[in-house]
Amino acid sequence: MASQLALKSRINSTTSLGKIFNAQEMIASSHIAKARNVALNAKPYTDAIFDAVQALAAHTDIDHPIVKSKDDGNPRVAVLALTADRGMAGAYTSSIIRETEGLLSRLEAQGKDPQLYVYGRRGVTYYRYRNRKVAGTWEGDSDHPGVRVAKSISDTLLDAYMKPKDKDGVNELYIVFTEFMNMVVQRVRVLRMLPVQIVWQGKGEDDGSDPEGSGAKVAAEAPVPAASTSADTSADTTAVAQVGKVSPLYSFEPSLEEVLDAILPKYIQARIHECLLTAAASETASRQNAMHTATDNANNLIDSLTRELNASRQAAITQELTEIIGSADALNKQEE
Amino acid sequence: MADKKLLQVNLVASDHPVWSGTATSVTIPASEGVMGILPDHEPLLSIIKGGTVSVVDPSGERHSFTVADGFISFDSNKLTIAVERGQDVIRTSGTD
Repeated sequence: MASQLALKSRINSTTSLGKIFNAQEMIASSHIAKARNVALNAKPYTDAIFDAVQALAAHTDIDHPIVKSKDDGNPRVAVLALTADRGMAGAYTSSIIRETEGLLSRLEAQGKDPQLYVYGRRGVTYYRYRNRKVAGTWEGDSDHPGVRVAKSISDTLLDAYMKPKDKDGVNELYIVFTEFMNMVVQRVRVLRMLPVQIVWQGKGEDDGSDPEGSGAKVAAEAPVPAASTSADTSADTTAVAQVGKVSPLYSFEPSLEEVLDAILPKYIQARIHECLLTAAASETASRQNAMHTATDNANNLIDSLTRELNASRQAAITQELTEIIGSADALNKQEE
Repeated sequence: MADKKLLQVNLVASDHPVWSGTATSVTIPASEGVMGILPDHEPLLSIIKGGTVSVVDPSGERHSFTVADGFISFDSNKLTIAVERGQDVIRTSGTD
């Protein structure tokens, strides 16, 4: 049995760790409100973009590289993994990495050549330590993804997407991120962001009633690699409600092509920003959950250590008593 | 002109909403020159490069906003101005 001194020092250190976990948990809870505010502030802009893209899609037959796959036999595809900047978030980063590895091997099995882009310091460190080739990285913003980092990511990826085959261009873009369902459930998802798939939707009711405001998204299966068991893979779809609604005829200034050229990249940027925001919310939530569990564990450990300490103290007292009684008995016997 | 028609304006930057309200007329720095929009304008989707958006509200007050890189969409008297750089949006208001 460990000495009482050792037990006491373990109890002390566990207590201070527990305090740290508790503080981290409270910090994470306070960040959630902030993350929600940022997401709410960005929503009107995202909605405006979605509306504009829907209007464009409804009135014109979009013929733009962003919505049409180039189909030039280019095997290169881009994969963007959204990880956390800091640890202490439970399985957040490791499940993203696991899913990314799965996606990479599925893509490779299909004869494609995935180019990896990593967002978040933990993911970057993981791949750098393993000497894996990474095409681009972003660090330092996973807590509070701003417009600037979203723009930088979408510019880089769109640039790679628009480049022709012989200049290291890519044909598709996949994003691996964690979707924020609620405080307890966060789900790793793989989204095919490029080329954008426009879905002509039969019913008009769904349009606009989507609580996320992400346009009417329908669960259309896209030609993506076979979905894994842990996460579902879906394409980014923009649905256009048409039935029973006579759409007004828009005029485009200065011209349809220029409007498309201007708005579609913004649409991609808004989608990426949305992914970053939901990933940041998930990160905060999973950090809070992890810290909550850690606090509970620390308290359990303190309880069991205290019990052990008490038992060992009791044992020591009992032993001392036995010794005293035994020696007293022996003395009495000698006097007789 | 109490029965004057109004249009609903919603000005949003990429990271925060900037202004929303009703207006009698709006001036926009469209890509091919300044464009004025009155109620019942035809549906329109236009790029804006950068400059000053001014909104005249029903009381005649003029609000000006510096915007950069965005687009506007107008449909059934609803005008949405979405601009890229929220930091660059400066709001100044005053009557003239």
